[in-house]
Amino acid sequence: MPHCIDADVVVIGGGPAGMASALSAWNHGARRIFLLERGSSLGGILNQCIHPGFGLQVFGEELTGPEYAERYIKQFAHTSVELMTRTTVLDLTPSKKIMAVNPHGVWEFDSHSVILSMGCREKTRGMIMIPGTRPAGIYTAGLAQYLVNVEGYLPGKKVVILGSGDIGLIMARRLTLEGVDVEAVVEARPSLSGLIRNYVQCLLDFEVPLLLSHTITNIFGKERVDGVMISQVDDCWKPIPGTERVLECDTLLLSVGLIPENEISRKAGIPLCDFSRGPFVDENFATDMEGLYACGNVASVFDLVDYVTLVSERAGRAAAEKRARDTVKYWMTPGSGAGLVIPQRIRQTGDGMLFIRPNQGFREAQIHFISQGKVFDRKKAPVCRPSEMIRYDLKNIRWPEEGGEVTVEIAGNPIEGM
Amino acid sequence: MKTNYDLIVVGGGVVGCAIAWYLSHFELDILLLEKELDVCEGVSKANTGIIHSLSYLTPGMIKGDLHRRALLWFPRIEKELDFHPLVTGALTVALTDEEIEYLQSLKAIGGYEDAGILGPGEVKALEPALNDKVVAAYFDPNAAVVSPFRLTLAFAEGAALNGVDFQFESKVTGFISQRGKIEVLTEKRSFTSSFIVNTAGLSSNHLAQLSGDRVPKLQAYKGEYFLLDKECRFLTRRILYPVPTEISKGILIAPTPEGNILAGPNFELTDADDTGTTQSGLDEVRTGVRKLIPTFPFDQTIQIFAGIRPTLPERDFLIFSSQKHPGLIHLCGIESPGLTASPGIAEYVVDLLVQKGLSLKEKNHVVFRKAFPIFHECDWQKREELIAQDPDWGQIICRCEEVTLAEIKHALKMNPPAQTMDGLKRRVRVTAGRCQGSFCEMHLPSIIMDILGCDSHHLVKSGKKSYLFAGETKKVVNIHAALH
Repeated sequence: MPHCIDADVVVIGGGPAGMASALSAWNHGARRIFLLERGSSLGGILNQCIHPGFGLQVFGEELTGPEYAERYIKQFAHTSVELMTRTTVLDLTPSKKIMAVNPHGVWEFDSHSVILSMGCREKTRGMIMIPGTRPAGIYTAGLAQYLVNVEGYLPGKKVVILGSGDIGLIMARRLTLEGVDVEAVVEARPSLSGLIRNYVQCLLDFEVPLLLSHTITNIFGKERVDGVMISQVDDCWKPIPGTERVLECDTLLLSVGLIPENEISRKAGIPLCDFSRGPFVDENFATDMEGLYACGNVASVFDLVDYVTLVSERAGRAAAEKRARDTVKYWMTPGSGAGLVIPQRIRQTGDGMLFIRPNQGFREAQIHFISQGKVFDRKKAPVCRPSEMIRYDLKNIRWPEEGGEVTVEIAGNPIEGM
Repeated sequence: MKTNYDLIVVGGGVVGCAIAWYLSHFELDILLLEKELDVCEGVSKANTGIIHSLSYLTPGMIKGDLHRRALLWFPRIEKELDFHPLVTGALTVALTDEEIEYLQSLKAIGGYEDAGILGPGEVKALEPALNDKVVAAYFDPNAAVVSPFRLTLAFAEGAALNGVDFQFESKVTGFISQRGKIEVLTEKRSFTSSFIVNTAGLSSNHLAQLSGDRVPKLQAYKGEYFLLDKECRFLTRRILYPVPTEISKGILIAPTPEGNILAGPNFELTDADDTGTTQSGLDEVRTGVRKLIPTFPFDQTIQIFAGIRPTLPERDFLIFSSQKHPGLIHLCGIESPGLTASPGIAEYVVDLLVQKGLSLKEKNHVVFRKAFPIFHECDWQKREELIAQDPDWGQIICRCEEVTLAEIKHALKMNPPAQTMDGLKRRVRVTAGRCQGSFCEMHLPSIIMDILGCDSHHLVKSGKKSYLFAGETKKVVNIHAALH
């Protein structure tokens, strides 16, 4: 028979979101809390992020990933949160029954609240369908990061990186420091995907070329990668004939986007949002199904771990307090210029945050909040970019009396190039 | 090391392994030579994985005859190899009135009582995603799908259990006949035997030439595929064939036994070693697939790949005895439906060998293969039992396909063992899921090195030169020791 456990809160995933929500649930009075982590230790992806840049918002200082994780791991010593590592959740039902396995057996949890904090995964070569051969030497940037920083292996000697997402930029620097030649970072967009600070600190400082409006159109090599074909692309990301050239390399790293990991959410039947690719959530990161929460990158890919922590603390608190929830007052959707808005539901505007991701870069941006065809509030941002979410405290928005659908639009002067 | 055998099979594809398995029922010393590090590395690894029913055989050709003979073998394969095709059924879809005539011919060829032609309403009720323009479809409930890797491995493991030796990295470079025996030369050493079966897939024609025989020119036709995430598993529950063209079965959509959806292939003349996908080829597949399912979710693709068909101008299998070396049999042009026909081909080849003087004495005892459990497919009670036996069953390494440490260790220890990352993937599906290894590939090196007893620079994806790592990172040095 499986080990059967009744719980107040079960948290699935022990990365930054799971740790923050479990600790917050404890601090707000929940007692029978279980944190299920499939790896052998807590911390998740933070453990492989040995570069600094974490914690400026939460701690007001710059930490490495493992240091940031450590701040939370230490706190568990003062709680009775049950930490279960090497434990993989295989099923979640709409009635919040969880099935998990670990080397000790099969575990069945019946929980009052369940917090989903499974994080996200990287897009792969197959997903973006780059034609060519399938040799060794094609890695997602995050996998390469783990191999280098945790396992101590070098994926290759001569690397091309596709995608200017943050992990790709960080890996360009990390590999350069290991003596690897980083031939180029190739980006299909006309502008950078990652943070500007990473462009400066990882590419400019190490003289790694960035090729904007370029993509990889073929991969060569029978057993091991021996080169890639790159082409310039037009405004619709279509390769421009005649611009092809071959870059010799033995390795291709892909940093082409992250996808929230919602396979377990789907099993439970939680409604998912096409824009965020995570569950629809409210300001407490409660999903549309009562008692089920989704926080951190499983809800929407955030650009800073600090934001993950902040939203996850809200989820943990709400899960612990078990308060009856209000009806949804505002239904948020992204309009022109906005890629996504999270949370998508707002019940209470007293506290909580709103995150908006622009779908292109703008200068002198105006952010319009629109209800029933009328702009009810407008904000300004001197510069905004897809790589950096715009964040507002809910209480600082002048919400209309009447609830309903709210569209967020961004307008401004488009940024060309960097 | 043993170098003298009663029979040598050259080529570890599905046909070579089927022949080895079939012959392992008899008192014979058998060797299988394979140039790569694993079985199923060539033509057998990239195809639709369909066990085509009788409706789809080609009458009047050798491949049709062997297709028919092969289907009689599957009950025995299920019993002796514990290998079970997933019977899905198939719909051949007519989109115009003119195409209905072809459907009638399928019914006549198949002769199944339970097969028949359905109207558009019935077809859409079975597969709602199908094109609204469907006018009729031939429904044959007998078609099945398999994992081509797992079928090949089942034959290989069954053969190994019954005494067949496997030599990998053994590319055959020539044949020498002397005193009634044939010496098979490989890059490393040579072996002798009275009977040799050349079933080297894309290399068969070349080997036949090396042996001094005349063969038609090989034409390599590429077929490209899309593989979808398991989230799409209910897109179609049955194989969806179009009405075929003159040259191929056409671009079809099929569920896989593991729950993915496979779409393809196109049919494009290429070089024998060109397994790269192309933009134009993928676009051609997209167009073909949309004729069957206009809303096909290409955004759910987890992998694209290409396979090569070794075809001959006659478009039939060519199985013949060498003019130069008595006892040597060549198998050329084993294209579709080679996977389905593989046990029938084995039977036919053995008949030929007997005609050439191979004497068959049945073994008193044949070992039946028992398939290793697949954790993902077990119910909770079985999972509980497995973990109680060995905690490695509770350690999930691959989250997407729910592959446990116990399965990975078994794949590295079984015979023939996985020696490569692709070998592991094909045996237990680790790295085969939606993340394509992003979350588990890093955990595999230490497991492989531990069990195979090798160093990190010996880790490869598939071929000997497909190394995974170019070295190790800088190590922290003891500054004080370095200064003194």
